[in-house]
Amino acid sequence: MIFVSSPFLRLDFAPVNGADLNPLLQDPLLAIHPPIIFSGYVFYAVTFCYVIAGLFSGFSKELFQHLKIWAGISWFTLSFGILLGSIWAYYELGWGGYWFWDPVENISLMPWIAGTALTHSLVYSRDKLLLSWMVFLAILTFLLSVFGSFIVRSGILNSVHSFAADPSRGIFLLSIFAAFSFISFALFIKNFTKMESAWPKLGSRNYLVVLNNIVLSGILLVVFIGTLYPILTEVIFRQKLSIGPDYFSQLISPLVLVLIALFTYEQFMSLSKKTIFKLSGLLVVLAIVLFIVLPANVYLNLIFSFVFLVVLVIKAIYDFKQRRTLIQPHKVLGHFSVALMTLAIIFNHNFSERVDIRISPGDEIKVMNAEIQFESIDIVAEQNFDSVKANFIVNENFALTPEKRIYKVGGQIISETAVNSNIVKDYLIVLGDRFEDGSWSAAFSIKYGIFIIWLSAGLLLVSMLYGTIRRA
Amino acid sequence: MKNLATFFSIFFLSFFIFSDQLYPGLDEQQLKRLNYLSDNIRCPKCSYGNISSSNAPISKDLKEEIAQMILANKTNDEIYDTMSERYGDYILLNDVEKRNPLIFLAPLIALIISISVVTIYTIKKSK
Amino acid sequence: MKKIIVLLTAVLLIALVWFFALSLNVPKISNVKTQEGKGLPSGFELLKLNGEKVDETELNKGMVLLNVWASWCITCLVEHPFLNELSDTYNIDVIGINYKDKLGDAIKYLDKNGDPYIYSIHDYDGKYALKLGVTGAPETFLLIDGKIVKHRVGEVNQQVWDEEFSDFF
Repeated sequence: MIFVSSPFLRLDFAPVNGADLNPLLQDPLLAIHPPIIFSGYVFYAVTFCYVIAGLFSGFSKELFQHLKIWAGISWFTLSFGILLGSIWAYYELGWGGYWFWDPVENISLMPWIAGTALTHSLVYSRDKLLLSWMVFLAILTFLLSVFGSFIVRSGILNSVHSFAADPSRGIFLLSIFAAFSFISFALFIKNFTKMESAWPKLGSRNYLVVLNNIVLSGILLVVFIGTLYPILTEVIFRQKLSIGPDYFSQLISPLVLVLIALFTYEQFMSLSKKTIFKLSGLLVVLAIVLFIVLPANVYLNLIFSFVFLVVLVIKAIYDFKQRRTLIQPHKVLGHFSVALMTLAIIFNHNFSERVDIRISPGDEIKVMNAEIQFESIDIVAEQNFDSVKANFIVNENFALTPEKRIYKVGGQIISETAVNSNIVKDYLIVLGDRFEDGSWSAAFSIKYGIFIIWLSAGLLLVSMLYGTIRRA
Repeated sequence: MKNLATFFSIFFLSFFIFSDQLYPGLDEQQLKRLNYLSDNIRCPKCSYGNISSSNAPISKDLKEEIAQMILANKTNDEIYDTMSERYGDYILLNDVEKRNPLIFLAPLIALIISISVVTIYTIKKSK
Repeated sequence: MKKIIVLLTAVLLIALVWFFALSLNVPKISNVKTQEGKGLPSGFELLKLNGEKVDETELNKGMVLLNVWASWCITCLVEHPFLNELSDTYNIDVIGINYKDKLGDAIKYLDKNGDPYIYSIHDYDGKYALKLGVTGAPETFLLIDGKIVKHRVGEVNQQVWDEEFSDFF
């Protein structure tokens, strides 16, 4: 930082009163999101250190204890950081989106995916099974964090997260990444024989974890290719192309369902093969029935995720009734949250709608089975911005007040979305432009399942928190 | 006189119907098409994102232009072609698998190979 | 077998690092396919700011420099003195495309800041510029015999002029 990118260099023409903080950063949620993500990366550096120490001095029970705690802390922090970014995007960017497969989002997602696989590989490490997987994943997660920092700060990417780009900083970060990669790789190869352990048996839990790791690696590969391929074509072929969200969702969606199938199967592993076969047959029939009965616009993967969720819930209730307690409640809760989140996300994509309207103050219109009254426009001066507030009443029930803010120092115009949430759906209005006749354009959306998405994310974090703390 | 009254009432009535929408003249099906196409056209002035979820003036202009093309009965492919002809392939967010099948297939092939190899190896080791 | 995997991974890592070192040093290509090689849009009845019709055959003959500007565009204001210089000192003919601007505002802007243009096309709704491939203001096009040979997205200043346009003159 001192040599390559010193913040202490003097500016030739310094703005006397400062240039004001970027309006997007003037939101507390967004201000805290990058430090937390970066903390996640830093904690994975700690995990990395423990693993490298293990390579040198062996993996004792005590080392595993530390590793499990630190892997848990890292994953929790990184997940929390990503979640904050997603929440901010939903409430601030205005289009009801919480994930865009934006390159920088993907960059933070990659260590998260590897970290998830790491967490799972640590579960059975007490028997020193999956040791090489675990070491590999710990190294990979850390390297992806360093790589992520390099990509984001070097100016290679174009995204909503365009930071100040600095090629010399880029070379510096790339060198750090290269150094760590080669050293870790060399150490891994050198100590590979030390990490050899019994191969999991077919159909055992460890085997499931191996499958889980492979599928997660597949998802990681999809994100990696989708994010970096445009850079590849620009640098090597001198062409510009874009990879849209469809690439990611079409490939990753079925893979997530496979993961859900794996952990659902895990809950039933104690049963006989025959029973499992019969149950699966029953579920397939149920899925087919639902597919036939439900309207044509219902996605197939929505049906699958619903079936899996129902199965998980029934099994959990059954187990609880039998034993008066749940074995490994954090695992049950964590997997349940993933299934619930997947269902909510698919539901959101299946049914959410948006309409562009043009409306004048005093008008009342009916769109998407909702009544929107445009009451009035107010202009309010706040401390560092002027605000144009549009007062809407929806269904004669609640108010939505989207704004356009004009920041006094920098002159930026930012749109503030108005959101009204309930358990099932959210109503959003984004204010557009004013026409000469006094009417305004606006985008009115109804988004389904958003509350459930946040809730399940919260439950997932809680499950990890519990799982980590109980080890301490 | 009656005709005039009918004319005016239809005129004002249609004004209310059309004044709700930002894209007057498009029916529900066409609006859905507009949203779908806009979701797949990248905003040329933004760092990332489609013209649907962009506040940039160019995005609104392009959305308006697409609306006009829909009204002129152009097909989706014709609309995509017009856009990519003007701005380059960069502007298209859809159909990645058609234009670059390899990047779509690569992860799938890698997965199938890995799972097969691991399963076969595990079965062998179990014996 | 193991040796092959090790070698493969090492090669991949080296390739990755080399690739990114390369990408840091490669000049960025413009986001949007520039309109170079194309002609002007047809089928428009273009009017000048003063209301006269534009003779489109003139636009398709010889060397023509088109500059997209607007009174609300701050970067255009920054670029404007250089345009004045181009037309005064270097005697280069610049034709303006007044982009999405009200007539009164445009004329006031030119009165206040000088008019480097032979004339400006009044593209009130920006539809002509849209077909031309313009995504905002300012942008500058150099045409030779009706074919776009240079398209600059962004302001033109001395440095940009020297690097991209001066060779043609």
